[in-house]
Amino acid sequence: MAELKRFLIRRLVTFIPTLIGVTLLVFIIANLIPADPARAWAGGEKASPEVIERIREEYHLNDPWYVQYVFLMKKLFTNDIVSPRTHNKIWDDLIFGTSQGVAGAGTKYGRFFITLQLTLFAFLYIVFIGIPLGILSALKKDSLLDSTVRTLALVGVSTPVFWLGYLLIYIFFVRFRVIELAGFPEPTQRITGIMVIDALLLGENDIAIQIINRLALPAFVLGFIGIGVIARITRNSFLETWNADYIEFGKARGLRKSRLMRHALKNALVPIVTVLGLQFGGLLGGAPITETVFGIPGMGRYMVEAIRNFDYPALIGGVLLFALIYMLANLIVDIAYAFIDPRVRY
Amino acid sequence: MEMCKPILEVRDLYVNFYTYAGIVKAIDGVSFTVCEGETFCLVGETGCGKTVTSRAITRLVPEPGRIEKGEVIYYTPYGKINLLELPEEKLREIRGKEIAYIFQDPAAALDPLYTIGYQIAETMVEHKTVSKWKEAFIKAVEVLRSVLMPDPEKRVKAYPHELSGGMKQRSVIGIGLSNQPRIIIADEPTSYLDVTIQAQIMDLLRKLKKERKLTIILITHNMGLVAEMCDRVAVMYAGNIVELGTVEQVFKNPLHPYTKGLLRAVPNPLTKIEKLEAIPGTVPNLIYPPPGCRFHPRCSYTMDICKREKPRLVEVEPGHHVACWLYSR
Repeated sequence: MAELKRFLIRRLVTFIPTLIGVTLLVFIIANLIPADPARAWAGGEKASPEVIERIREEYHLNDPWYVQYVFLMKKLFTNDIVSPRTHNKIWDDLIFGTSQGVAGAGTKYGRFFITLQLTLFAFLYIVFIGIPLGILSALKKDSLLDSTVRTLALVGVSTPVFWLGYLLIYIFFVRFRVIELAGFPEPTQRITGIMVIDALLLGENDIAIQIINRLALPAFVLGFIGIGVIARITRNSFLETWNADYIEFGKARGLRKSRLMRHALKNALVPIVTVLGLQFGGLLGGAPITETVFGIPGMGRYMVEAIRNFDYPALIGGVLLFALIYMLANLIVDIAYAFIDPRVRY
Repeated sequence: MEMCKPILEVRDLYVNFYTYAGIVKAIDGVSFTVCEGETFCLVGETGCGKTVTSRAITRLVPEPGRIEKGEVIYYTPYGKINLLELPEEKLREIRGKEIAYIFQDPAAALDPLYTIGYQIAETMVEHKTVSKWKEAFIKAVEVLRSVLMPDPEKRVKAYPHELSGGMKQRSVIGIGLSNQPRIIIADEPTSYLDVTIQAQIMDLLRKLKKERKLTIILITHNMGLVAEMCDRVAVMYAGNIVELGTVEQVFKNPLHPYTKGLLRAVPNPLTKIEKLEAIPGTVPNLIYPPPGCRFHPRCSYTMDICKREKPRLVEVEPGHHVACWLYSR
């Protein structure tokens, strides 16, 4: 356990330079855009020069870029910077929630939690469809099922997310009217931050069902690529362990097939978990498109809006959060290795 | 020679492997009988079909292999059964319970993610030797003690990677013995171990055999081991048994040209030889095996008939069989 603690501290320290690097990169790119953000924030062409000047002062836009960067990071750290677009503090928009929001209705949940929930749903699809498909495919190697799964995986990887999204909207919304595309149900009280769980904890089952109903399709679209990828990885990894000597010895000592499969799957898990960790990052990256297509007020859409309005304080805040989540996901994967495989040492 | 009470009888076994390159006729009509309480050895060079034969006994031939025909008669206390015709579930109940295996590479045979205690307990629970897992873990300590594992109470919680090669093989033997089997099939149990550990493991097998009246089928290419361990020995070449007899008979009076060559190629443990000689030529390709006797292209006594017809295994003196045209009329 002491080893785990040391490992965690060491890894968390490496987060700092990564976060600085990522935000710096985005900041520089945002700064290279040949537009005047102050004018955009003040309202565009017809903005009065005084307002523009005041905004320049407030956001230190007249200072050199490194002063701007340090100012921005400091303010982000203390949640003291207001998004020029939504007029909310950035972390209120993203995490803490804005009960008295100006742009759009306020929400107890930050945008991040809406996206996190979507991502978790997509992740469930990947785990509970992708892994079983992969195992089936491996057990029935070279059968019709195997070829179907492999084809599906290929189709999954090559299908554009927005296209699939619109296709499914056409089928389930336009044709059959079984899904909703507007609004987002919310439980009456925020407890854990994940809406479905909160709704269930509060006993608001109908809200939970509404949320699931709202997210089922977008999460499927978001996870579609991942299902195929994980099915492939599971298939190959499982095939490899299924032919291992310890499975052969397992047969020789008379183990049942279900037990042999358990041995094979646990051994196949290390590459699967690695890819799952990377997928989680990929899902966050895919969220903007899915959220835009399905009208979900999540963090991805928030960032797309931020880019459109030169709202780079909000953009960098979002990037910071994405990077952090991505690194946390990878950290969890590394810890999971040790739980799967006793040979792994920190 | 004492009376042989058969425990296992392999009759006319054929195994083919369906590879992309063609059909490998790996086992080509192998027959032998194993007597209760003896140590029966299968010897031969790598790729001659020793391992496949031993696996075929409980239908464990790996893909893309297929048992084409033959019988494996297992003599239970209640009568005999043909293992090759038994339903899969019934056969599973025999594997690891009545007929147990010890594999070549203990590091690969143990699942790296589970403790050896778990793997021993699992084998017992799956065969209902013990009903509860908790009890099985307690028994696992006993099993480890019986295979002379040092400090078994501690080692039962160890993962395979925490054990030395010898200790791993002791664990594998422990797994094999956990359900008190009647037959142990040991497939080159020492070839992955250091020489010093080899002797310890063989001593252990000998001790266990004596204590439990086990029947052992030992597969090896080590002639020294054969002389030391075995009662009877079958020499295999390219998927055939070419000679079969007691260790005395085969080592002191080898009849088949291959056996003779083999015994000149390695230090003979029973008789002193001056100079080691290699057998000319190489092992045949079993997709296109030589017609007639599979050894004839490498044999210095080849006759016309050897190229045409396959010799049958015939008894030339009590208990000593050979498949060679030199000895059959």
